[in-house]
Amino acid sequence: MKKSTYISLFVLTGVLIALGLIVPYWLSFLITVALSKGLVVLGLMLLMRAGMVSFGQGLYYCAGAYSVGAFSQYFKIDDILVLLLVAISVGGTVSAIVGLLLARYREIFFAMFSMAFSMILYGILVKSTSFGSSDGFNVISPTLFGWAPQLEGGPILPFITISLIVMIVSIMMYHYFNSPMGMAGEAIRENEIRVEYLGISVHRVIYYKYIMAAVLASIGGAMTAMTVGHIDPEMAYWTTSGEFVFITLMGGTAHVAAPFLGAVVFELMRSFAFQYSPYTWQMVLGIALLAIIIFLPKGLWSLKSKIIKGDQV
Amino acid sequence: MLKLSNISASIQGTQILRDVNLHLPKGKMIGLIGRNGAGKTTLMRTIMGVLPCSTGQIMIDGQDMTKLAAHERAKAKVGFMPEDRRLIPTLTVEENILIPAWANNIPEADAKLAWVYELMPEVEGFSERKALQLSGGQQKLVALARALMSGTHILLLDEPFEGVAPALSRRLLTVLQTLKEEGLSVLLSESDYTHSADLVDQVYIIERGEVREEGVTQAAE
Repeated sequence: MKKSTYISLFVLTGVLIALGLIVPYWLSFLITVALSKGLVVLGLMLLMRAGMVSFGQGLYYCAGAYSVGAFSQYFKIDDILVLLLVAISVGGTVSAIVGLLLARYREIFFAMFSMAFSMILYGILVKSTSFGSSDGFNVISPTLFGWAPQLEGGPILPFITISLIVMIVSIMMYHYFNSPMGMAGEAIRENEIRVEYLGISVHRVIYYKYIMAAVLASIGGAMTAMTVGHIDPEMAYWTTSGEFVFITLMGGTAHVAAPFLGAVVFELMRSFAFQYSPYTWQMVLGIALLAIIIFLPKGLWSLKSKIIKGDQV
Repeated sequence: MLKLSNISASIQGTQILRDVNLHLPKGKMIGLIGRNGAGKTTLMRTIMGVLPCSTGQIMIDGQDMTKLAAHERAKAKVGFMPEDRRLIPTLTVEENILIPAWANNIPEADAKLAWVYELMPEVEGFSERKALQLSGGQQKLVALARALMSGTHILLLDEPFEGVAPALSRRLLTVLQTLKEEGLSVLLSESDYTHSADLVDQVYIIERGEVREEGVTQAAE
């Protein structure tokens, strides 16, 4: 990554935070949720680059959210950094165990097994009265060392935090994708056998990628919980995981920024579709995805290269 | 260096290799000759651990490699150039070549890469291009370059001259001659014995998964 790119990224993050203080609260709220989901999608993209499609990222999204909710409720701790660390620990630990099994499977088996684990969590939460059963429960608004900045409409700390997290994660993932381990993902997608005889343990690479994707999903879930202020078992339901796959296809997998672009466009589209077409908003989203698949098969991010090359979109 | 004792292997219940014995001494080049379907590629895959052997033993430098996983065998300084090249299309030529160095933590990767480029200067010429942009012949050269990164002791070349234009075949032969002079042990498979006749020290004729004949060549004598 060039020095100028770092500077651009820092400036962009600064501008984003400044805009968050100016724009209406509903918009900063929507972008916070979108960027949180973008983190989950980034993890999914990491797996997809290795040829694995997970229909169970809802497991870690929900685990991150519930760990934050439960920890803050039972230990009365509302510090955003502590809560994020809790979510990372829970997501990392669960994925380190589940990943031992899932890293052995590929294609539809991986997709279905990942969904099955997610649905197990959903089933447990729905039956757990201590976690609010199917209604879920509220999550307290976070602070940073006791600091909780407010805007007209609601708290702004989650927005500032997610903007900084996205910047840091983007830099880290950019370097990862350009590292040997990152490139090994594409090699595995092409042909696992050749990767093995080149000296790389495919199982180990997939296992680490699975844990990384889970940790990203946990952070996304934790940030969503702290932003929305409420969590429920739907976060682990298979439709939530499907939504992440939807966003991944929408944004594309060619660049670290693609998941965030896809997530923001998806959330904006859903909000407006729901507002102007409350009974057919799913159809609007479906048509949009169809249009993207037909005209931009590599996702919204491919618009950039098409514009730069002057190709017809 | 490489010693195979009574190797047998099956694919989906069908026995392909039957009690194969082969010895590749240090600094020698051995030709594995056989028709299509004779078991040459299966033997290469078995040596690399991609296909498990049902019986027998694979020894490399006196170490038993039979039970090791494929990625662990690659660390025994064995390089493999498969028949279909199998480059990673989205990566550049140089990234493709460097993968074994990254995977095996080869400390002198830069020096090794420089040596490979010195051996095959044409590869350096298109090192920044994506593998998918290369012709079949260029891909062969890159696959050989990649195998050389990890294959500092033993090189397994599966049908290196298959589907290659005459000019490139001659170029490959020159490169192999240099490698032989540098003391690399090479096991090379071919359907016919036309390309490497002047190069190999010993041939093993393989038929229906069995070694039918073996002998020293005129080149060795």
